Amino acid sequence: MSADFLPPWPPGSNSFALFGLLLLAGLIGGRIASTTRVLPAITGYIATGFVLGPGVLGWLTEDALADARIFADISLGLVVFELGRRLDLEWARHDRWLLPTGLAESLLSFAAMFALLTFFEIPALEAAVAATVAIATSPAVVLLVASELKAEGPVTRRALWHVALNNIIAMLGVAVLLPFIEARGGGGAWHPIARALWIVAGSFLLGYLAFFVSQLIARFLGKGDAAQFILMVAMIVLTVGAAQVGKMSVLLALLVFGVCARNLDSDRRLIDIRFGHAARLFFVVLFVLTGATLRPEQFGTVAWLGLALVLVRLLGKAIALYLFAVPARISSRQAATLSLALTPLAGLAIGFTQPIYEVAPEFGAHIASIVASGIAILSVLGPIATRYALIVSGEGEPDVRD
Amino acid sequence: MPVLDFGRSAPLTFGVELELMLVNTRDYNLAPDADDLLRRAADDDHKGELKPEITQSMVEINSSVNERYEPLLAELRAMRDSLATHARQMNVAIAGGGTHPFQKWSERKIYPTERFQSVSEKYGFLAKQFTVFGQHVHIGCANADDAIYLNHALIRYVPHFVALAASSPFYQGVDTAFDSSRLSVVNAFPLSGTMPFVRDWAEFNRYFDTMYDLGIVKSMKDFYWDIRPKPEYGTVEIRVCDTPLTVERAAQIAAYAQALASKLLTDRVDWITPDLYLVHSYNRFQGSRHGLDGTLVDPKTRKSVLIADDIRSTLRELSGHAASLGSTAALEALLAVTMGEGNDAAWLRRAYAEAKTLPDVVRQQALRWMA
Repeated sequence: MSADFLPPWPPGSNSFALFGLLLLAGLIGGRIASTTRVLPAITGYIATGFVLGPGVLGWLTEDALADARIFADISLGLVVFELGRRLDLEWARHDRWLLPTGLAESLLSFAAMFALLTFFEIPALEAAVAATVAIATSPAVVLLVASELKAEGPVTRRALWHVALNNIIAMLGVAVLLPFIEARGGGGAWHPIARALWIVAGSFLLGYLAFFVSQLIARFLGKGDAAQFILMVAMIVLTVGAAQVGKMSVLLALLVFGVCARNLDSDRRLIDIRFGHAARLFFVVLFVLTGATLRPEQFGTVAWLGLALVLVRLLGKAIALYLFAVPARISSRQAATLSLALTPLAGLAIGFTQPIYEVAPEFGAHIASIVASGIAILSVLGPIATRYALIVSGEGEPDVRD
Repeated sequence: MPVLDFGRSAPLTFGVELELMLVNTRDYNLAPDADDLLRRAADDDHKGELKPEITQSMVEINSSVNERYEPLLAELRAMRDSLATHARQMNVAIAGGGTHPFQKWSERKIYPTERFQSVSEKYGFLAKQFTVFGQHVHIGCANADDAIYLNHALIRYVPHFVALAASSPFYQGVDTAFDSSRLSVVNAFPLSGTMPFVRDWAEFNRYFDTMYDLGIVKSMKDFYWDIRPKPEYGTVEIRVCDTPLTVERAAQIAAYAQALASKLLTDRVDWITPDLYLVHSYNRFQGSRHGLDGTLVDPKTRKSVLIADDIRSTLRELSGHAASLGSTAALEALLAVTMGEGNDAAWLRRAYAEAKTLPDVVRQQALRWMA
């Protein structure tokens, strides 16, 4: 008697089962981290991914990771949109030192990292691209740690503003460097510049378009919470897809969408949707996947360069914040906690290198390997630093557990 | 045992305390930025004072002692302008209003001073629920016995103050159907209510000594009465007003209290009897529930009158006092409130009808306060 009604053994990969398993594993890892009272849940998610991933146990195979990529893209879309909504341009108009402080924080950390990398004889272009990518603070980590601690106040607010700005600067920086990378491959000069323009201008336009359409539909839907929640999720997923199809920057488009929603919605059609538990689902998966991309060797032989990179980056940001503390009227304690809160540099930075991979795969892999150990170190230390900073600033409550 | 010495103050001088809310500019929920605002405002050069309050999302501004309405108004405006500038640089907003329309009290953080922490321990969840915002008006009295007299006499007018200042129709995310829902929050405290019917300062002191001996109070601060004598300042303090949506309205209400005190101290009315307190809770409820449309029972005539009508007739009686105190413009503005313009609660309800969301209402009330 044949048993062909039974499933094959071992069972094949299934996206639903994978999503569920990633969630469960992450949830348990997050809880274990939380019970230490020192580590944020994120560290648990990342550690879970690291242990299950190809680097250690190998239960999460490269194929499975590729399958799960879509979940990570949606989470990143949500994160970056949310980040964009923190960039209140009106604030920069009233606090004239805000933008200069943000620019200085980005530029000084870039300069410090660039100097370090060239000192270690990494070619200038590689060093410039790696340092540009590493300007950005991980929005996912800062947003999630802040929400985990229910943190709110001057440091949290300023930190998220800086994160939004340094992400935009990093994205634009990569776009500016892109033609140089491509030109090195011997192509004509016009084509690479056009491509960079397409990525930047196209992403801006797409982000604005997403905002415009959302506003139109919101006018029709009204201000109900549920309807607007679905509207925003739909528009975010749609924009992620459109950016992919249009070969633009998913991150930049979503960031611009968020910035427009915050700053251009003069009729207040869009309400401030809290993604809450729904977003948490995706975040757990995002960080488990981030963990799964880490390899044990990144903590090993090349880690000293990563560690040095991490240190000079922190130093660059801290010096800038201290230099501007007096005119910007932030206290030295706030400058210190702010610098620390901006530490995380997670897997998202790799997202910036996507267009580089497309034009010059080998170059992209090289950059990734330069920043990889920095990313690996900061995926462990970053969330802890941000958590510590927000607790010490008095804005996050360590006892809040949800 | 502390001896309550009644301080010296010139009669009919006045001052204002306003509790204000700090909100973020994203979803307009309360923002715990009091510390940062206090730090930034530390070097400000104006006459008044800025103080922390029980939770991190509240601050209190105190005017200096004034004799006339115009300088008080100018002072409050100057304080408002400098606070608004700081707030904009911090990316937060400051708003008037007796309650925050949708904040959840359980999310509040107690301001870290010894006194506030001890209040929090003593009162449990009531302390965080006390994230409501009131205006207090101080009126200077020549002596302690005058203060006791004025304290009783002003009780008759509590519904006026409640209705004119009412600005808390929304609380914990719903329309409470009250014009001043804040007042009901104050009721929960064991030492709220009114001063007992004492005849003079000597009798008040005996009452205070007894309460002190019983271990119920340590200082006058422990009484959360609607109106109380404030011996340190030599004043009577009216505490039933919600913080209005503008400093202009706050100054007008203070001017009304001053003119009323002037009349009461001159006329020495004959209706200071325990009957005042028979009708008080009912009248106060009418003011907080229905605002200007409520009815109050006059303890002397024993008749019910519409609060708006009673305010109008009082304003007419005060015109001479207002003229000599220089506050005619303030009282005319309050007259307009009773003639159809409506109080701040009505303004907030109109804003909600148009905007459809409470965060948007808070945004508008912040724009109104900071303007």
